[in-house]
Amino acid sequence: MNDGEGPGSQHAGQLGPVSGAMGMMTKQQADDVGQRPQYSMPGILHFLQTEWARFEMERSQWEVERAELQARIAFLQGERKGQENLKQDLVRRIKMLEFALKQERAKYHKLKYGTELNQEDLKPPSLEKKEEDAVDGEVMPSAGNVSWRQGRHLLRQYLQEIGYTDTIIDVRSARVRSLLGLQAHAAESEAEGAQPAIVQMNGEVPSKRAGDQGKASDEDDGLAGEEESEVKHVKKRPKMQNVDNIAMMEDDTETEEALAEFDFLVEEAENGAGEAQSHGDGPEWVQNEKEEWDVDQRLIDRLKDQYKKERKGMKSSLQGGSSIAFPSDSRKQIIGTDPDDESFGEELGELADLTVNNEADQNNYDISSPKEAYRKTWNAKYTLRSHFDGVRSLAFHPVDPVLITASEDHTLKLWNLQKTVPAKKATSLDVEPVYTFRAHIGPVLCLAVNSTGEQCFSGGQDSTIRCWNIPSSNIDPYDSFDQNVLNCTLEGHTNAVWGLSVHSSKMQLLSCSADGTVRLWSPGQKPPLLQSYTAEEDDGAPTSVDFVRCDPSQMVASYSSSNTYIYDIETGKQVLCINTKSASEDGGNNQINCVVNHPTLPVTITAHEDRNIRFFDNTTGKLIHSMVAHLNAVSSLAVDPNGLYLLSGSHDCSIRLWNLDSKTCVQEITAHRKKFEESIHDVAFHPSKPYIASAGADALAKVFV
Amino acid sequence: MKMKMADGNSAVLRRNRPGTKAEDWCNWSDEAFEEMDSTLAVQQFIQQAIRKDFTNIEEILTPPEGVEEGVWKYEHLRQFCMELNGLCVKLQTECHPEQCSQMTATEQWIFLCAAHKTPKECPAIDYTRHTLDGAACLLNSNKYFPSRVCIKESSVNKLGSVCRRVYRIFSHAYFHHRTLFDEYENETYLCRRFTKFVTKYNLMSKDNLIVPILEDQNAIDGESEA
Repeated sequence: MNDGEGPGSQHAGQLGPVSGAMGMMTKQQADDVGQRPQYSMPGILHFLQTEWARFEMERSQWEVERAELQARIAFLQGERKGQENLKQDLVRRIKMLEFALKQERAKYHKLKYGTELNQEDLKPPSLEKKEEDAVDGEVMPSAGNVSWRQGRHLLRQYLQEIGYTDTIIDVRSARVRSLLGLQAHAAESEAEGAQPAIVQMNGEVPSKRAGDQGKASDEDDGLAGEEESEVKHVKKRPKMQNVDNIAMMEDDTETEEALAEFDFLVEEAENGAGEAQSHGDGPEWVQNEKEEWDVDQRLIDRLKDQYKKERKGMKSSLQGGSSIAFPSDSRKQIIGTDPDDESFGEELGELADLTVNNEADQNNYDISSPKEAYRKTWNAKYTLRSHFDGVRSLAFHPVDPVLITASEDHTLKLWNLQKTVPAKKATSLDVEPVYTFRAHIGPVLCLAVNSTGEQCFSGGQDSTIRCWNIPSSNIDPYDSFDQNVLNCTLEGHTNAVWGLSVHSSKMQLLSCSADGTVRLWSPGQKPPLLQSYTAEEDDGAPTSVDFVRCDPSQMVASYSSSNTYIYDIETGKQVLCINTKSASEDGGNNQINCVVNHPTLPVTITAHEDRNIRFFDNTTGKLIHSMVAHLNAVSSLAVDPNGLYLLSGSHDCSIRLWNLDSKTCVQEITAHRKKFEESIHDVAFHPSKPYIASAGADALAKVFV
Repeated sequence: MKMKMADGNSAVLRRNRPGTKAEDWCNWSDEAFEEMDSTLAVQQFIQQAIRKDFTNIEEILTPPEGVEEGVWKYEHLRQFCMELNGLCVKLQTECHPEQCSQMTATEQWIFLCAAHKTPKECPAIDYTRHTLDGAACLLNSNKYFPSRVCIKESSVNKLGSVCRRVYRIFSHAYFHHRTLFDEYENETYLCRRFTKFVTKYNLMSKDNLIVPILEDQNAIDGESEA
């Protein structure tokens, strides 16, 4: 009877006049009764009538109250159902994104390792159970309330995970759609190749919005389409970027190359965007990738704005037609931009900055500035005289105008190009070394500088590899001897060390020696030797070694037998035999003097004793191009950090600069004199400044600007 | 196997290709001086003779016909400085500034390091390094030695002072690091050759040649001749 009291007291104001009159009456009566108890029939009847009328009135009030409450309950239930739908919608989106993520990962895995990732949980997300829950919820309000709370909590967790705060929960499906819209848009912004996918996506999205209850299978289809377009897009992008470079190659290699490129970038994405990825932050992640793929940000923004406008219009009309009309519109823009070389070039220039931001890789830097420098011809500017015998190897500091040379006179020297001494000829400057590294007890044959420019490594005929802490380039050349400059000595090879290569990001070093082995070192670790790689005895000694720049898990080594192999660094197994031997005409004395990998493309370039430079595809091992490059044996190669130019040195006394697009010689410079039958031992590009250098058997090194 | 092949062709190709084993380094047939068409022929010739037999100092110091004496001396001094690097590397492990705080040989002299603006009392190891670095700069100087084919008389006169300075490295090693010195001398015969060289071309006075090795050398020569 609590109920009775509630409304009664609640409506006391309304009933006031009645009960007031009543109270007054009863009071009078009580007074009357108290003084003279006298119950008259009409009085009693009147009292009963008024009492009845009061109760009737109250009952009707309660009735109204109940109806009101019932209406409220209905309203709240409706609201809850609405929330349930929203939650379902969001959960479905999240599942979609999770599924897409899993598929992406499976794909990466497949591309990277060539095997299927057995993901037992790689199933399309089913929404049946959730819907059952919802039904249950309707039948049993209390249980529904709990599940609703749970759902809400789960949802909040999801959203917090992806970086959104609670406020997002209040945002209605429009927000969700805008998120989705962004994703769909991202898929749109790619080239014509994936056109059907785009149309499908755009047809799909509005229908989802309208129905808001799209079947799970539909969603999956949409996802698959989206994914495929994503991958296609990925394939397309490197091709556009390097369209000239690959022009010479066959179609199939093109695709495979692009895939390999994708592989490489996946690695990057895993490193860089790993967090975003693991949190399933679909749209943002996609955006990140876009940046990595070097899409023009302006174009995207423009399209985004347009898309948002379209979206608003669509929201009111909810008609599929307009959305289908839209992508064709946007595509027109893309088509309009793409073939336009000039604007594409501009885009690249701007994009270069993006690349720098995204990738810590040493090899990536602004493309536009060196391009500028390459237009002019190179002229000898600095002559580095101080060695007593042939200079076997040289390497630039990654940033500063500083280089190190390694010579047959058993020493290495550090040169600062900003510390010059006036020379006789005004056109050329002499440089004196600022430091001499002494520890080898025989000719120093190879040299490599690490990516920070703090350390360098030298391999000598004395079988050792020395790790040096590079002194400051402003050191007094006649400072006192510092024992700590020699950091450590890597011992393990049993014969002359002929080649070194430093990993661009890891602290790892490859060496090849006349003892027949290639070794992987981690200087500073104990023990420093990580792995040893041996080829067949017939292959003789390794002559040169390099990391595969676009697949950090591989390295390439050439042998005096003129064979070249790609090894898997981890397993030590030969992955591929590059067809270098069959490519050379006279099999006997045609060893490879130098092997380098293109910084961005899966291309191996070899310098041969038979005057040729040859280009091979890393994925098939097939010859891409072969050219007689010099008048004598080609001794050395260097690719500029952008992968646009190739520098070669030969025992014909000249260095040549090649355009990698057209494979034509851009410039030839006679640089050094002969000692016996040797002339130029090494060439190098500065990793970030417009310098090239050559090392000669005449004990000189020269730097060109 | 490859080297044999290279030997077969090596009438033309004297080349240390990448992958060459240490023992096969410059392992090719001798070339007559007249056939060397390089501007570095004198260096080639000297190195070829040393490689053939480093103990045969007489032959190493015998110039071929038609070589300017200045160039001959210059190229030999380059070769000495280059090979002295080996002695310097050995000294780096043993000659510490704490023990050898001054460049001395006998107690008679303290040598001041000429590499600095005002000559300085460098520790022995620094003196060694600075002297070799300074010699490298001077001998490669575009001002004094712009050509390795033709050398001015005024520049040839510079060679004497270089000789005097680098000789102190021998003398310090001999008097303070005898084991090390002997080990090195047996591997290279460098001090013998140097002493003979400066005597032959009168680049240093006999008084300064304080390492008593020439007598030994003469004795050995005498024995072998006998």
